[in-house]
Amino acid sequence: METTAELFDRHRRRVLRDRAAARYADYAFLKDAMVDDIAARVADTGKSFGRVLDLGAHDGRLGARIAGDWSVTVDAAAAFKPTLVADEDALPFADDSFDLIVSAGSLHNVNDLPGALIQVRRALRPGGMFIAAFVAGESLLQLRHDLIAADDAATGRVGVRVAPMIDVQGAAGLLQRGGFVSPVAEIDSFTVRYAGLIALLADLRGMGEANALASRLPLRRDVLADVAARFADRADADGKTNVPVQVITLTAWKAG
Amino acid sequence: MSEHPPELDPRLVEILVCPLTRTPLRYDRVAQELVSDSAKLAYPVRDGIPIMLISEAREITD
Repeated sequence: METTAELFDRHRRRVLRDRAAARYADYAFLKDAMVDDIAARVADTGKSFGRVLDLGAHDGRLGARIAGDWSVTVDAAAAFKPTLVADEDALPFADDSFDLIVSAGSLHNVNDLPGALIQVRRALRPGGMFIAAFVAGESLLQLRHDLIAADDAATGRVGVRVAPMIDVQGAAGLLQRGGFVSPVAEIDSFTVRYAGLIALLADLRGMGEANALASRLPLRRDVLADVAARFADRADADGKTNVPVQVITLTAWKAG
Repeated sequence: MSEHPPELDPRLVEILVCPLTRTPLRYDRVAQELVSDSAKLAYPVRDGIPIMLISEAREITD
């Protein structure tokens, strides 16, 4: 099952999330923005959902915001104390198990996202709803360019250090192919400001989002210093650099 | 010293399937395992948390 051809290293992804679990609350600002939005969207439906699944739940803060008869949380990392541990693209649920499936901040580094969406649709009861938000699009775009330039300058070779990210058209297409009805994919742009590259990397680690790519290469000290300098060069007068973050939100239903 | 392991919620056991074969699982309370007879895999339940990963499952040999 876990072949070398996969984009993300499943074991590594688990380890990074496990390490982040104890202090996750200190780094959850992006997750919380997604949680607030998803909770509001669920409330806006005016419906009550009996059985709720929070997928890629981290500490379960999204599921906790949604009133249901029974809430199940799934995370790839046991340290978050989910109801059960599973990968988002290998779900262990029978068909027609949940009325609502939500996910915040986890679907960006799933190996088989098309497969995950199909499994989500199957796990929903007829008429059930799916809402997911995750980082995508042009997030960290300048940082990706800086990494390539710094790698190239130091070694003449470039590797992938930031995962490729799906765009909103691609996400909409996946929902369609996943067999959902009324699929909608939206994208929102945020700017997070950092006093330096090290602070940004610390946040990513705190979120459990350090590099989980299967093909990751060690980042040389001189390359890191070059990227930090490029990052600082783009700072505003107050010394902080704008980092773009885009969040894709998917909303879809299973046919009733 | 030995504590009784926490019992899994029966509602959960009812909806769980093997992620490999998508067939129902048998809950072995003593071994704290969820057994997939069709895949011949036993998924561990650690501290009351089912670990539904094929990479963590025990292969069952007859």
